[in-house]
Amino acid sequence: MNSRVSTTSIAASAAVLLSLGLVGCRSDDSSDSSSSSSASASSSGSSTSTPGSGDVVALAEAFVATLDEDQAEALQQDYTFENATNWSNFPNALLTGDFGFPGGGAPSGGPPSGGPPTGGGAGSTGSTGRVGLQTDSLTDQQWSALEDLLAGVTGSAANEGFDEILQHLAADDYLTDNGGGDDYGRGDYFIAFLGEPSDSGTWELQFGGHHLAVANTYVDGALAGATPSFRGIEPFETVEQDGETVQPEQQEQAAFAALLASLSEEQLSTARLSETYGDILLGPGNDWAFPETSEGLVGSELDDEQKALLLAAIATYVGDVDDANAESILAGYESELDDTYVAFSGNSSISEVGDYIRIDGPSVWIEFSLQNGIVLEGAHPHAVWRDKQSDYAGLTS
Amino acid sequence: MTVTSARTPRRPLRGVRAGALGRRAAGAVLLAAVALLSSAGPTWAHVVPSTVLQLDVHSDRVDGDLLVPATDLAAASGLSLVGADGASLPVDADTAGAVVDYLTDHVAVTSDAGDWDVQVTDVAVTTTEQYGTGSFPAVTADVVLTPPAGADVHRFELDYDAVVHQVITADVYVVLRSDDTGAVPAGNLPATLGAVAVDTVTGAIPALQVDLTGNTASGTQAGFRGMVALGVSHIAEGTDHQLFLLTLLLPAPLLAAAARWQGTVPVRLAIRRITGTTLAFTLGHSVTLVLGALGLPVPGRAVEAAIAVSILVAAAHAGRPLFPGREPLVAGLFGLVHGLAFSGTLAELDLSGGELARSLLGFNVGIELVQLAVVVLVLPPLVVLARTPVYRRLRVAGAVLTGVAATGWLLDRLGVDTPLAAAADGLGPASPWLPGLLWVAAVVVVARGRTGAGSSPAATGQDVPLVGSAR
Repeated sequence: MNSRVSTTSIAASAAVLLSLGLVGCRSDDSSDSSSSSSASASSSGSSTSTPGSGDVVALAEAFVATLDEDQAEALQQDYTFENATNWSNFPNALLTGDFGFPGGGAPSGGPPSGGPPTGGGAGSTGSTGRVGLQTDSLTDQQWSALEDLLAGVTGSAANEGFDEILQHLAADDYLTDNGGGDDYGRGDYFIAFLGEPSDSGTWELQFGGHHLAVANTYVDGALAGATPSFRGIEPFETVEQDGETVQPEQQEQAAFAALLASLSEEQLSTARLSETYGDILLGPGNDWAFPETSEGLVGSELDDEQKALLLAAIATYVGDVDDANAESILAGYESELDDTYVAFSGNSSISEVGDYIRIDGPSVWIEFSLQNGIVLEGAHPHAVWRDKQSDYAGLTS
Repeated sequence: MTVTSARTPRRPLRGVRAGALGRRAAGAVLLAAVALLSSAGPTWAHVVPSTVLQLDVHSDRVDGDLLVPATDLAAASGLSLVGADGASLPVDADTAGAVVDYLTDHVAVTSDAGDWDVQVTDVAVTTTEQYGTGSFPAVTADVVLTPPAGADVHRFELDYDAVVHQVITADVYVVLRSDDTGAVPAGNLPATLGAVAVDTVTGAIPALQVDLTGNTASGTQAGFRGMVALGVSHIAEGTDHQLFLLTLLLPAPLLAAAARWQGTVPVRLAIRRITGTTLAFTLGHSVTLVLGALGLPVPGRAVEAAIAVSILVAAAHAGRPLFPGREPLVAGLFGLVHGLAFSGTLAELDLSGGELARSLLGFNVGIELVQLAVVVLVLPPLVVLARTPVYRRLRVAGAVLTGVAATGWLLDRLGVDTPLAAAADGLGPASPWLPGLLWVAAVVVVARGRTGAGSSPAATGQDVPLVGSAR
């Protein structure tokens, strides 16, 4: 080849090359399509933010510091509506399609494995399950750091907040040991940071799994949303698991029963809904879908004692967040009690399958529904606490 | 609406129709799972059983297979369908008739032609299971929906509120199971038509709008156009498959002699070479595109590296003739490799049957369209420039730069990080205006030939090599 290549010919040949490039194919688009969700990973403890209220950011960073690179990458997710609303009451295996049917095998024909079928309608997308770091990968030290973090963002009262979560995890282990199999248990929970923990900007601490969804959104270091908060439980009766007494959600049920028991016949009939409820109305995926019209018995018709019982029932959910924030949230709900409705369906004892109760205020929305057991015999509850203003800290899309 | 009583009086339905029920239940379970999984948005909140209505479209009517969770139906209708133990009770003729009455009251169908006739028959009980629900008792029934005589069966409004009017958390999945009219291709079945549920905001139960006309031929055409577009975008968005072909075509207007590119060949021969090489490349990548899309395992990294090698070979050939006259063979062989890379895009779509065939064709058409456009766009100025002294430098520089880019890609794909690959990839976005430069250069050369040397062969594009053109 000629070594005397003039600059003009280089320019000309560059033009050729570039014009060829016009139609070329960047083949790396097929070789590497890693998810975008890991974009802001590997923040391991290097953030310069100062620990804010409750030291949540510091606890979050301390947890991250115990993780290896892959774990930290799985933990750190994007703060998007899609990720924030990706919670469920289901065990994760049921979401991903890998569910082994407890007690009796899969139904004939079986569930279609893998993704959704072709031609299954417009925009059909199967779920890929929860985002974040699955707890089955955690060492004892990492579990301990996670528990420190959870303790820092949840209430300290017995059978509420942090204690409730620990019992909840034990309850799922109980399901594993009593017919539920490997699709249940404390290893099937997910912790995710949506957005990077920081005292400036917005991020959400998401922790959830079967029958549990914790969704704390922090804006500039302050808790700006503690909902949607899902609590269900099976077993609902008191059991012993690994030496621990497990009885979460019983205080909630007792508080609802006490509230309805305090009502007069006339009040009860006003509070009674004519429809049947097989589950809660505003479960996962049913976001920002609060009814326009509140039904049932309005709070201004309650006497002081009844109002105290109503507030006590609300407190069994608000008390799941850290004590300081719980106090201020509860004070807000208390100021709206006169405009807060109580409605129920089924028995006023809220003890049988089909029994349902709802607390529906200008801000607060709590539902509790008893339904058939899945792994065990007997009723088990689903419950959700939402806030009409601050669900997802106001994120709507 | 016409009310028809159950056809099987005073017989325990469970035993008599067990076989049919079993099959039906299995289908319902599967389709319920299909419906649950394929409906957009997270409907997985419900471990609670759902109603499933499967529709079979015929030319004069729509048949429906209905499965309703017995507990929900009992709650909504007030009928005794479930015992205290939660198991279903046998349905006697009176109860079956009452179920028919209830369902008939809660299913209405209308279209532009008016109200449809709704008949409910064959009420029976069964035990079934849906994805994640565990076993539950259910009531099944056949439904026949008949439009006014001569009216279209493909568009209607299904106003269904059985169970849902009372069990406010219940939902009804409506699935299209079969279509005798061919409006919906069999490959798209079963298809979810939608779900009926209470709108929690308003408390209303919106009717389901069914329109199957959108799934007819025009829908298939849209799918085909989509695949053409995918093929176009796949090849138009980056920098390497076509670079291989075009580098191979770079010496097409030239004559190989004494292991060098000497002079030019007649335009007609150049065009024939270009056509042959392009066709061979097309043939090669089509073969492996089909094989790959059908499931032939594709070693992605090796294929990508081999593509870089192919560009390197083409670049060397543009510098010195390595295989003069055998460009089509080489293009065809390396085309096999490039086709494997294309197939990855299709394999991700997980298609089968007629849909796969249509998609393959569409995708390939998209690739060829772009390839053709590029050849048409870039080759004429090259043929003109080949008859000028500029071309030699242009060809050599092009070969060198292409070789460098290919080396960069090759190293990158073998795991060696160099800035070359990224730089080569980066050329893509800036390039759309560069073919224009080539055209300008060609026009300038022609014009200069006209004004300067009068009518030289080069300027007039005659099929005559320039005298003494040892380029």
